[in-house]
Amino acid sequence: MPEIMDSSTAVNDSAVSGDASVSSSGNQMPPPKAEKKKRNLPGMPDPDAEVIALSPKTLMATNRFVCEICNKGFQRDQNLQLHRRGHNLPWKLRQRSSKEIRKRVYVCPEESCVHHDPSRALGDLTGIKKHYFRKHGEKKWKCEKCSKKYAVQSDWKAHSKICGTREYKCDCGTLFSRRDSFITHRAFCDALAVESAKEPVAPPSVEEELDPQTVDPSPPSPPVQSPPSVPTSSAAISLVLPDQTPALDSTELQDDPIPKSTQIINDTATPVQVASLTASCSSSSNSSNTGSTRSTVFASLFASSTASGSMHSQASGFTDFVHATAQADLIHDLGPSLSIEPTSLCLATNHGSSIFGTAGQECRQYALPPQPAMSATALLQKAAQMGAAATNASLLRGLGVVSSTSSSGQQHWNGQQFESGSASLAVGLGLGLPYDGGSGLKELMMGTPSVFNPKYTTLDLLGLGMAAGGGPTGELSALMTSIGGGLDPAPSYGNAEFSGEKYGRSS
Amino acid sequence: MQFTQTPPPPLHEITSFPSNINPMNKNQTLRTRQWPGFQTSKSLGSFGDANCMEQLLVHCANAIENNDATLAQQILWVLNNIAPSDGDSNQRLACGFLRALIARAARKGTCKILTGAVANVHITTHKFSIIELTGFVDLTPWHRFGFTAANAAILDAVEGYSIIHIIDFSLTHCMQIPTLIDAIANRLEGPPLVKLTVAGATEDVPPMLDLSYEELGMKLVNFARSRNIILEFRVIPSTSSNGFASFIEQLKVQNLVPANNGIEALVINCHMMLHYIPEETLNPFSFNNTSVSSLRTMFLKAIRSLDPTIVVLVDEDADFTSNNLVCRLRAAFNYLWIPYDTVDTFLPHGSKQRQWYEADMNWKIENVIAEEGVERVERLEPKSRWVQRMRNAGFRGGLFGEEAVMEVKNMLDEHAAGWGLKREEEDLVLTWKGHNVVFATAWIPS
Repeated sequence: MPEIMDSSTAVNDSAVSGDASVSSSGNQMPPPKAEKKKRNLPGMPDPDAEVIALSPKTLMATNRFVCEICNKGFQRDQNLQLHRRGHNLPWKLRQRSSKEIRKRVYVCPEESCVHHDPSRALGDLTGIKKHYFRKHGEKKWKCEKCSKKYAVQSDWKAHSKICGTREYKCDCGTLFSRRDSFITHRAFCDALAVESAKEPVAPPSVEEELDPQTVDPSPPSPPVQSPPSVPTSSAAISLVLPDQTPALDSTELQDDPIPKSTQIINDTATPVQVASLTASCSSSSNSSNTGSTRSTVFASLFASSTASGSMHSQASGFTDFVHATAQADLIHDLGPSLSIEPTSLCLATNHGSSIFGTAGQECRQYALPPQPAMSATALLQKAAQMGAAATNASLLRGLGVVSSTSSSGQQHWNGQQFESGSASLAVGLGLGLPYDGGSGLKELMMGTPSVFNPKYTTLDLLGLGMAAGGGPTGELSALMTSIGGGLDPAPSYGNAEFSGEKYGRSS
Repeated sequence: MQFTQTPPPPLHEITSFPSNINPMNKNQTLRTRQWPGFQTSKSLGSFGDANCMEQLLVHCANAIENNDATLAQQILWVLNNIAPSDGDSNQRLACGFLRALIARAARKGTCKILTGAVANVHITTHKFSIIELTGFVDLTPWHRFGFTAANAAILDAVEGYSIIHIIDFSLTHCMQIPTLIDAIANRLEGPPLVKLTVAGATEDVPPMLDLSYEELGMKLVNFARSRNIILEFRVIPSTSSNGFASFIEQLKVQNLVPANNGIEALVINCHMMLHYIPEETLNPFSFNNTSVSSLRTMFLKAIRSLDPTIVVLVDEDADFTSNNLVCRLRAAFNYLWIPYDTVDTFLPHGSKQRQWYEADMNWKIENVIAEEGVERVERLEPKSRWVQRMRNAGFRGGLFGEEAVMEVKNMLDEHAAGWGLKREEEDLVLTWKGHNVVFATAWIPS
């Protein structure tokens, strides 16, 4: 448990430290995490600040320093010590040595939180506590008037004082906190039209004593074309607007900009695998552990083939794609997808040929285009390398494992086997496409090299992939793992040209 | 619980992916759009990084342009898996581009099998009711910034005039006008007569409104009356595709713009509308051989000839004009991430408004990526080029007063912390996490 320092520094949201050290506090020390490069990093780095990381328990704790005589709790040890003097107990006030005054900043323990990053640490303990309560804590304090809830009592108190006093209300019942919003709404709201219709002759209010028609200093020349919409009622409608400028509750301002949705990841131990492919790649044994609602890569793939009907329903294209994944396992039919109605990103099953089917059949016919500065292969491999360095798995990371951890594997992908250059890795990717979660690519890949007949060409892996969809188990990840794990994949692929049927047998 | 121990790399070392990656360099990996203090997805690791997605999109675009169906489809597949439409902001952004590329591939015939399907998978943009639209533009400074800055500048410029003629070229269907009327009504010297002439664009570009301009005008007149202002509302049907030539002509034919006489101020308010006017990279045969200057230049000269009291030009600060697809894709990707990034700050996941908002963004992306020629109407130009155009047309920059700056700052205070205001010479620029978003410039005849 770290020593809680009383810090009088104001809350400081600006970036404090570029290379501050992180001192951990009763929490496990984390492994160093890849720090992403930021562009346009604002703020003044304060390299001297010491970054303190407190556990949620510490932050939530109130009155952690308890007097053993009367059980009175204190937030700070210093205060307890002062209290102990009253009981004639030994007490000790810590002297702050002048040379040890070092600016301290505090990071939020929520890994998903922006203030978890030392460069966005908060400048004082009170600040981080309030932040933690506001953003990650339960909102226990509810305003009786407007039902707005607050996590910090002082916020609630501040709001309660001004609740209802700084709002603009349209006759339609809508409330606004900002005058601009209210004005714009008011102008177009039917309530105003109703009001003007109801009161064709408004009693002259203070505002209306100046009749615009009479005080108009310089009547304009009549318009050549009468305006299309001159209202028939000539009565001026009085509109009573609150005079005070809306000043927003500062605490609300702090809270509002960052909605709850920022707390996507709460469980730091098991980062949510966002992409389905991530999930499927990272788990070699069991695709159900993905934690992702979107099912696996391969399932999505299949979804694309099976859900093509829904793809035709407008707009939601890829959403359907994704949503359909859940059903993919049930409905996928490998036969058609193999040869007759293949997937082709599933957009157009009706059109008879699958993208991947096409790819498999026509690969050799395509002359590879001139390479861009970095070929797609290289890009994907780089991406894979990046992925390998990242904390989370992804499909390409899986691929990356291949290329980054095993030089022989890389060679395999790039040089020896894939003469086709830029398309090769993508082809390799294409391989996995038609599989559903339970299909056998993994098996394929994990299989011993002897499975693959050396006379087959690599490109036909696609065809293989299609057929292998019928395989009972397996995942691409395993493939990757096995390759990355140092199995020399070269023999297994070497000029492989296996048909789906053959693969089916082998699995 | 994990705590970062690795010091961030020095600020100046912007590593551009993927040129200099090496295994020893894992801590200095990607150039990202992260801004300290704002969450971005960590779930995907660095693979979800915008750079990688951009690279894949670029390769895909190249493949489509080279008619390499195989490669295109493979990359499309990869993109489809790393960019779910309900993913984080980068993923949704990439998904928008993915759709646009598929649409382009289908239209181009690169991937014939896609054609039929894509014909049906078009983006449905929402038609807003007027009240929905008021709430919509109020959610973010994207439009409010321009409204606020422009209104402040206009209010300054029309001081002392007893007639104010506002010509409104606005994408947002007069959403700016109520606050302007309100401000004018509150001015010290008493309310003037306000004439409002609206360029009723016939193109269907989002946000689309479920109300005729006549009805809209009725409401505005009614509202102005409630603020003791007489408003003359006039709508002139027009189109940006001919540089509003018919609009300008009507102004002159109907003698709506009298010579500057010190009584009537002429305000020309251009809010995110002028970039729909064709510029030099588009040369439809209609004026290909008759004129050397673009419609955009001609339009600015035309409004200069009206001798306006002030011209306010607000637009998005990006360059979507390139005829090269990849250039355009890069430019759009490196600009349109902003709306996706900001949306988390003001709209909850799954809300209707969010769907509308992102559908409008997707529409924009598709227009930039999949359309060509006159169909490609989203032709943003950066501020610098607009400034040059305005100067060439005979304008000089007007100053936004301290009042305007204060108004904008106060407005930004009501929104998420990532928004910022930057002064660039005489202009104001709205920023998000330090990146230019929208610029506001004010001009007077020189």
